[in-house]
Amino acid sequence: MSSGGHEFDFVRAQLRAALPPRRDLALEADLWPRMLRRLEEAPARFGWFEAVLLGLIAVMLAVFPELIPAILYHL
Amino acid sequence: MRGHPFLRAYMAGVLLPTWVLLLVLAVYLIAHAGGHVPAGLERAIVFPMAVVPNTWGLWNLLYVALRLRRRLSIGAFGALLPLALVPAGVALAAALDLRFYTAHQAVVALPTAMAAYFLAWKYGVAFLNRAVELR
Repeated sequence: MSSGGHEFDFVRAQLRAALPPRRDLALEADLWPRMLRRLEEAPARFGWFEAVLLGLIAVMLAVFPELIPAILYHL
Repeated sequence: MRGHPFLRAYMAGVLLPTWVLLLVLAVYLIAHAGGHVPAGLERAIVFPMAVVPNTWGLWNLLYVALRLRRRLSIGAFGALLPLALVPAGVALAAALDLRFYTAHQAVVALPTAMAAYFLAWKYGVAFLNRAVELR
């Protein structure tokens, strides 16, 4: 082996001696629950129930316009 | 953004009614300039300016602090708030002698307010909670 190979071995040995071996190679936490939480946090979609509620509000305010100040009073 | 989750919950809850208040104030000022505002109506602004935003903030804080997310949707939780706010609003209106808001009107307004709150909390407050990284 050439002297270059010895130098590499020397440097490798020195580095191994200087840096302690890592023991925490495994993940510190299970990432799957976090992934599930992200999936659950999908933006809320506008369904039939929300449409019915919006229609109810519109009808109530159209039939009873005197409710508008009362609703604004609570917002 | 990991610290102070209750402060973040409070601020996220306060924001939406504070924006609506600006709209209400603008409508009030325009109506006032046109001379369409009944005398004494300015006293009514105390409720949406002081009570409503703070109650929204505390209600959202409660939702986060009690970890209700798994058991109750934020829209349903928000829809319960008028059950406390409407009687308080009627009581304050009676104390301030505000004639535009009576107990009879409150009974009619309650389901409408609950529906409006459901939508506001489901889309508005939930979005703000996500924006401040509340889980």
